[in-house]
Amino acid sequence: MSDIPVFFLHGLAYAGLLFLVSSGLTLVFGMMNVLNFAHAAFYMLGAYFSYTVLRITGNFWLSIIICPILLFLIGALVERFLLRRVHAFGHLHELLLTFGLAYIITESVKWIWGNYPLAVSIGGFLSGQVDLFGLTYPIYRLFILLCAVIVGLIMCFVIYKTKVGVIVRAAVNDSEMVNALGINVSSVFMNVFAAGAALSGFAGVIAGPLLTTYPNMANEILIDAFVVIVVGGFGSLGGALLASLIIGELQSFGVLLIPKLSMALIYMLMAAVLVIKPSGLFGEE
Amino acid sequence: MDKKQYTNFGIWGIFILLMGFVVPVFFPAYRVILVTEAIIFSLFAISYNLLLGYAGLLSFGHAMFFGTGAYVTAIALGHIEGLPILGAVFIAILATTATGFIIGSLLLRHKGSYFALLTLAFNALFYVIATKWHSITGGDDGLSVTRPDLSLGFTTLNMSDITTFYYFTLIIVGLAILFCWYFTKTAMGRTVLLIRENEERMKFLGYNTNISRLYLFTFTGALAGFAGSFYALFFQFTSITAISIDMGTAALLMAFIGGTGTFIGPILGAFVYIFLQDFLSDFTDRWPLIMGLIFILMVLYIPGGLSGLFLSIKERLSGRRAATGQTETEGQNR
Repeated sequence: MSDIPVFFLHGLAYAGLLFLVSSGLTLVFGMMNVLNFAHAAFYMLGAYFSYTVLRITGNFWLSIIICPILLFLIGALVERFLLRRVHAFGHLHELLLTFGLAYIITESVKWIWGNYPLAVSIGGFLSGQVDLFGLTYPIYRLFILLCAVIVGLIMCFVIYKTKVGVIVRAAVNDSEMVNALGINVSSVFMNVFAAGAALSGFAGVIAGPLLTTYPNMANEILIDAFVVIVVGGFGSLGGALLASLIIGELQSFGVLLIPKLSMALIYMLMAAVLVIKPSGLFGEE
Repeated sequence: MDKKQYTNFGIWGIFILLMGFVVPVFFPAYRVILVTEAIIFSLFAISYNLLLGYAGLLSFGHAMFFGTGAYVTAIALGHIEGLPILGAVFIAILATTATGFIIGSLLLRHKGSYFALLTLAFNALFYVIATKWHSITGGDDGLSVTRPDLSLGFTTLNMSDITTFYYFTLIIVGLAILFCWYFTKTAMGRTVLLIRENEERMKFLGYNTNISRLYLFTFTGALAGFAGSFYALFFQFTSITAISIDMGTAALLMAFIGGTGTFIGPILGAFVYIFLQDFLSDFTDRWPLIMGLIFILMVLYIPGGLSGLFLSIKERLSGRRAATGQTETEGQNR
């Protein structure tokens, strides 16, 4: 069975993508206590921006740099001018706002780029194949995996080892106290939200060439990312990593072994986790 | 609940019902169809608002009950020979009650954002089942439904007639809406409202808040199934649209636009939504975008919805606080 390693690698690549999206979601949720329904819409915007940048310049590396920056700006604007306004009304309104935003972004994308799939092709060595222990494998999927690992490491470093990370973690615990100590908490929150949007946009850019770019891609990854967060435990980065791996592999081998049920498998896993350990694998009650 | 409020509501109820009865007399068939649709969606939006407005539970998966009701109706009518029309509706309600109880006991372990997230994920599961289980649900092709005629003993009503089906919907769905209103005035309905306001205190007073919430969730699920059943009968067709997340979003938009703080709000919202959609789709294909913009603007500036807006205008004009719905509207704006 030479299929098994191939599907295992496919699963890993999807897990990497899932981790990039869900880690941003967990990050924002853990720190600001806002479940951002527009998170996957940022991912989709990343993919579509990248499509346009590629059409104009033809340079994939350029779009990897430009698109996350654009998403960072959009995220900052959303936090500053929309989310902050409704913060006083409570969680319900924050959820409704991000949900409405996701709705508008999806409809705008359908309007601007059309309601059909777009193929994104990248030239250069990334689109080639590589020999890996006797099997031929597309370089691009390995590239996604590499990106996920690098970004994950950077994120852990920033959050747990730098001063910025300390401030952010402290602001979550007691934002009033941090504010009193002379740190601008509002600005920290804005940057955290924008960073989450940029991360999601980055995932979108590298997902574009692998999966097709189409208006429903946001909803699909959003639900998968939610399942990751439920299974891994809310607000836990380690949980998000483990759950991404499990769900990526489950998706991949599900298609191989039981194609009809493959999509339902991850929901069954989620239901099982909810029954056995409602707080998720790494969650704290 | 004093006598004056009952009288007030009674007058309004009779007025709206009378208006409903004369609709086919004054309006062309095309409008009658739209009003039928709006009545069905009113029930859906009300059931949604019992969760959002009364219990404070934000769900993105209410379509799973709506869609289940629609599919069960289509399947029952397709497989059971000679099943009466109300029999199909009854089976749909039974099925969604069971679904609501099972799903509710899983989902209600969490509250707030987690609950919202889980409803979305479970709706996705229902959607996948409806898409993949081709032999039963027809997959992407959907199922067609034939409305059976309603036999009253002395006469048989021809349900394929638009006006007859309109009156049938008005009476049956209207009764269901009245029952919802009655529910909000019962001890159970009040309990749910108070749990939203202060759960700790309710627990302290000896109420089992989890059971109350589960009952409410099951009840709203059954109501959404009721509406879904009529949706299938109305369109004479059931497709995956009925069980998609977008359908749940529609209920959310209706309830929020109409106002979650009042009972009548979602009805208002359903009518505005259906007629606005009909009106806008004549000009542009982009009407979901316009709906979305309206929604965001309302979240930012008019969180009480249209009915909340009317109430505050009324208060300002009369110079005093309106007695009805005051606490509920304020509760929403916390």
